[in-house]
Amino acid sequence: MTTDLHGIISAYRTSPDLGVLVHGRTVSALTFAGRYRLVDFALSSMRLAGVRNVGVIMQKEYQSLLDHIGSGKAWDFSRKDGGMTLLPPFSLDAARSGVYTGLLEALLAVESYVQRIQEQYVTIMPGNLAANIDLRAVLKEHIDSGAGITAVCAKGVPNGEHHRYITDETGDVLEMHYRRIGEREGLADLETYIVNKNVLLEMIDHAASHMRYRLHADGIAGYLDRGGKMHTYVHEGYAMQINTVQDYMEANMHMLRRDARMSLFPLDRPVLTKDRADVSTYYAETSKVRNSLISDGCYIEGIVENCVIAPGVHIGKGAMLSGCIIMRDTHIGENVRLKNVISDKFAQIKPGEVLVGSDSVPLVIPRGYTA
Amino acid sequence: MKKSCIAMLLAGGQGSRLYALTSNVAKPNIPFGGKYRIIDFPLSNCANSGIDTVGVLTQYKPLRLNSYIGSGMPWDLDSNEGGVYVLPPYMGAGEKGSWFKGTANAIYQNMEFIEMYDPDHVLILSGDHVYKMDYADMLREHIEKDAACTIAVLQVSMEEATRFGIMNVGKDGYINEFEEKPEQPKSDLASMGIYIFNWKKLKKYLIEDENTPGSSNDFGKNIIPNMLNAGEKLWPYRFQGYWRDVGTIISLWDANMDMLSPKLIDLYNENWPIRGRSPIRPPQWIGPNAAVEHSIITEGCEVEGKVSNSVLSNSVVVGAGAEVNYSILMPGAEIGPGAVVEYAIIGENAKIQAGAHVGSEPDGSEDWGVATVGPGVSIAPGAAVAAGAMIYESVEG
Repeated sequence: MTTDLHGIISAYRTSPDLGVLVHGRTVSALTFAGRYRLVDFALSSMRLAGVRNVGVIMQKEYQSLLDHIGSGKAWDFSRKDGGMTLLPPFSLDAARSGVYTGLLEALLAVESYVQRIQEQYVTIMPGNLAANIDLRAVLKEHIDSGAGITAVCAKGVPNGEHHRYITDETGDVLEMHYRRIGEREGLADLETYIVNKNVLLEMIDHAASHMRYRLHADGIAGYLDRGGKMHTYVHEGYAMQINTVQDYMEANMHMLRRDARMSLFPLDRPVLTKDRADVSTYYAETSKVRNSLISDGCYIEGIVENCVIAPGVHIGKGAMLSGCIIMRDTHIGENVRLKNVISDKFAQIKPGEVLVGSDSVPLVIPRGYTA
Repeated sequence: MKKSCIAMLLAGGQGSRLYALTSNVAKPNIPFGGKYRIIDFPLSNCANSGIDTVGVLTQYKPLRLNSYIGSGMPWDLDSNEGGVYVLPPYMGAGEKGSWFKGTANAIYQNMEFIEMYDPDHVLILSGDHVYKMDYADMLREHIEKDAACTIAVLQVSMEEATRFGIMNVGKDGYINEFEEKPEQPKSDLASMGIYIFNWKKLKKYLIEDENTPGSSNDFGKNIIPNMLNAGEKLWPYRFQGYWRDVGTIISLWDANMDMLSPKLIDLYNENWPIRGRSPIRPPQWIGPNAAVEHSIITEGCEVEGKVSNSVLSNSVVVGAGAEVNYSILMPGAEIGPGAVVEYAIIGENAKIQAGAHVGSEPDGSEDWGVATVGPGVSIAPGAAVAAGAMIYESVEG
């Protein structure tokens, strides 16, 4: 069933605190929970809400993302008419030299697309959020509240900086607090919104005329100042925004817990992704695997515990892996020891190698590393 | 559109020797080797061999097979030039429609489909074999030898030869005799049930056979002998590599167990990928107290017990303290806490509840066999299912 909701994914963002993990790719294209990419959550949440048209905003280093989402077929967004539209900057001028300074600048760069949106409501989701959000429920609350903007929020304490909202008992926003850290009053913003199309265009126009492009400090604050009404929706399930290497490690390790895994991947709300059509995973007689999430297409001869393993990984005899995230098609030689390591795709770890990170600072092996 | 060669895949067999496992699906749709269904092997072989047009002849329990095949996308067969087409028996204008009488009749009834492509050659495949084969190489040899029909053959031992259709070969290398399950085999070349025919010739023999009263309308029993009698050139294409017919419980179990020796049929080789359609589920989770040894496991599985020498399809659950050994668990099967499953095949979405015991290891007796629990069947807590049993309906406590 389709809805009067248009999707926009802000997939252009990168995060310097992810280090080499975002060299040559944006956060949205980063592997998560073995077989998925972070952008799968936004695409799947939108698909599950019956969204028919989705724009994916990208700016630089989007080859990895393009490779993954293709025509949008995996999420049923490959359509004769509409469906998924890829939104790189429309002109050199719009491309800007740096990264977009805020969401409104990104939207301004593709303004003609936004103007042509037919739906009355627009949902905007980031590319770095691991959450399975019921946008249909958000839309219902948004319409019922009569607000022009609804922010999806978490009750808990997210990692790092985030905006917070103080609300009245109905969930309408009374006050916005910028860039808070740790436990504070109010609700934490998950950077997922439903906005009335006219409110969105008004914010973009305002941003353009004042050259102030930040969504919260400029767009939403201006909207509230002009007397606009904003609502909050509380997402009760698992939610984690990935901005740092630590966030990345933590969130992947959360997936070893059944409650977190089931909240993100419930049977009745499947998260879809590009299917590599790998063969099943083979566990040799010499393998020993405990408390791990293992994708298909792996060939395991070694010992694995507390790890998250992507498709197509080979783990040689006598190798010992503990507390690691191994991305796709990594080849780990015999008798290798890896502890608290994040290994990017296509790495080749030669036999006997010992690589150890600490509990708080994982060791990151870059893509295609061979040694 | 003119094609050099198209494939016709015989997928209508009931697979009655698989008993409960085919109670809701046709044999080609039986899960195999964790990720696959049997039909994935010939379909993937076609795609890998550059044969882009495949007719799939269905008859028995076609619905799930139809939806499994869909547009052929999982095998990259959904192209503009070709495609995979499901062909059920149908009724023509002014005719009396009928079920396929035999393998040859199934092709006869679909001559119109074949003619749409005006092919020079037609490849006939079966939906119950597990193997990797380059049909393009077979076609090359077929053309080179100017054969009316090329039959893929496998070298077997003389003892095994008594169970197969055996091709006897003359000095020139062409087939001069075909014997079905000979008591005294003269050759060790067994037919694999894979044929490439010159289409014009095949068409002639199909029409003749159809007009012969009392014919079984079967390739092995009628068409091949008729061609030999008429002096046509039949060439044996010698296949080397892994090939298994999985038409019985024990052969299905055996072939699955073969997948635990990855060198037998290298499914991890990216140059000849076998692909299938499967749901997108999270990676398999192996719990903190689980033990997995010498097994194949697939996406969506949750393992908290002990699994050894077994093949698990997608979304299988093995509860804490459960033990699974030398068994095949099909998609969605659930093994409750403390249950024991050994030397067994558990059908799709079957439930073996807590503490139940299915199958037992071989004891040397003649009655021993692999225990089979049909799809969707539930075995009550603490219940026992004997070795060799075939369970069609749920067992109450």
